[in-house]
Amino acid sequence: MGLDMSVIPRNFNVLLGGFYTTLKLFVLALAGGLPLGIFLGLGRLSSRKWIYYPVSAYINFIRNVPLLMVIFWIYFALPIVTGHNIGRLSSAIIAFIVFEATYFGEIIRAGFQSVKKGELQAAYSTGLTYTQAVRYILIPIGLRRVIPSLMTQIIVIFQDTSLAYVIGLREFVRASTIVNAREIRSLEIFGFVAMVYLLICLVGSTISNRLEEKGE
Amino acid sequence: MVAEEETLITIDEVSKWYGEVQALKGISLEIERKDVVVICGPSGCGKSTTLRCINGLEEFEEGDVIVDNVSVRKVQGTKKIYKLRSKIGMVFQHFELYPHLTALENITLAPKKVFGMSKKKANEKGMELLERVGIPKQANQKPGELSGGQQQRVGIARAIAMEPQTILFDEPTSALDPEMIRDVLEVMADLAEGGLTMVVVTHEMGFAKEVANKIAFMEDGVIVEHEDVETFFKNPKSERAKEFVDRVLVHI
Repeated sequence: MGLDMSVIPRNFNVLLGGFYTTLKLFVLALAGGLPLGIFLGLGRLSSRKWIYYPVSAYINFIRNVPLLMVIFWIYFALPIVTGHNIGRLSSAIIAFIVFEATYFGEIIRAGFQSVKKGELQAAYSTGLTYTQAVRYILIPIGLRRVIPSLMTQIIVIFQDTSLAYVIGLREFVRASTIVNAREIRSLEIFGFVAMVYLLICLVGSTISNRLEEKGE
Repeated sequence: MVAEEETLITIDEVSKWYGEVQALKGISLEIERKDVVVICGPSGCGKSTTLRCINGLEEFEEGDVIVDNVSVRKVQGTKKIYKLRSKIGMVFQHFELYPHLTALENITLAPKKVFGMSKKKANEKGMELLERVGIPKQANQKPGELSGGQQQRVGIARAIAMEPQTILFDEPTSALDPEMIRDVLEVMADLAEGGLTMVVVTHEMGFAKEVANKIAFMEDGVIVEHEDVETFFKNPKSERAKEFVDRVLVHI
């Protein structure tokens, strides 16, 4: 039995639709997760106990639970608690933001800790406020230092989006299983899907390396 | 003559603890407009800590520092400290330039963000200051590409960009190669001549002798002696200051 790659163009619309959902989930998870991660990173360095302890508890709790569980909880438990069904995509986006922000938070905290105390003191000595010092000194310097780790995490998120499959979200992997159920061409279809993930992650790594060199 | 004697900063019986260790033991010092005060003494005696209490980078437990009729003790830990700090510049031992910004941007950040100065005006002023400290060509270079002496001159330009009444220098030449020390000291002497009030923690006794008008000798968290420069070098009162002067004068 030879390979019949024509299943791909034949089902291109379904696959593309799935890919689009994957991309949407990825971009929105990132758009929410990164800023939240910055706040969590700041919270982990706060000298105020009422900020530090809740933030630490949140990070330690979520990081010790499988992402799959978080996706399930948000999808099944949130509607029961709030009385609103927010749909698969929104549930997945929330789950990813909630989960990934904790990883971003820990990476970013390390970045913030690498910023010399003296550089912040210099900023304060010129009259900059805490918010200004964070915005113009701490965040730009701290984030630059952890670009490689952040990029790795971003690539992991892209791969992790496939887990939204379990709540029936028709993202790229789910779309491909639907096509496969109809065509029974597992090798071609899943081979193609794997190649797409591989290609995108390779591009991501290349960008990461470039940024790293530029950061030096 | 009264205006000449105007007190700018009053340090009044300031005590500070790091946990169990008392770093400052009731320090008092008055700094008048156009004073150049050198604080010297053995390392670990509280010179830098004293400096940092003036602009609230370090909080202290007892006594007070009055800057421009504002009590540092009352505003430390509140938002009011920001305004006070914008009136006092600071130059650091290890420069502490912002590594992600160019020399010019290091200087213009605070005027832009604190005073809301336009980018164009801030850049013009920044270039003027770079010329004044002698490194206009390095405007667009990052701190990592500059020599120590150049970095410190950017540090000084950054401090004077806010047009402060006073600048605090925390061992500004200690981290520099010998041939660069002179460049930085010249810039500082130039500022002193221009009438800037300066408080300088330094081991450069040559600078103290030529540029400063007052000298405070510290030991173990106490100001042991506070004199005119001439009196201090010619006729130090305390034993400890005598020893110190004898030892450092050999190097001048």
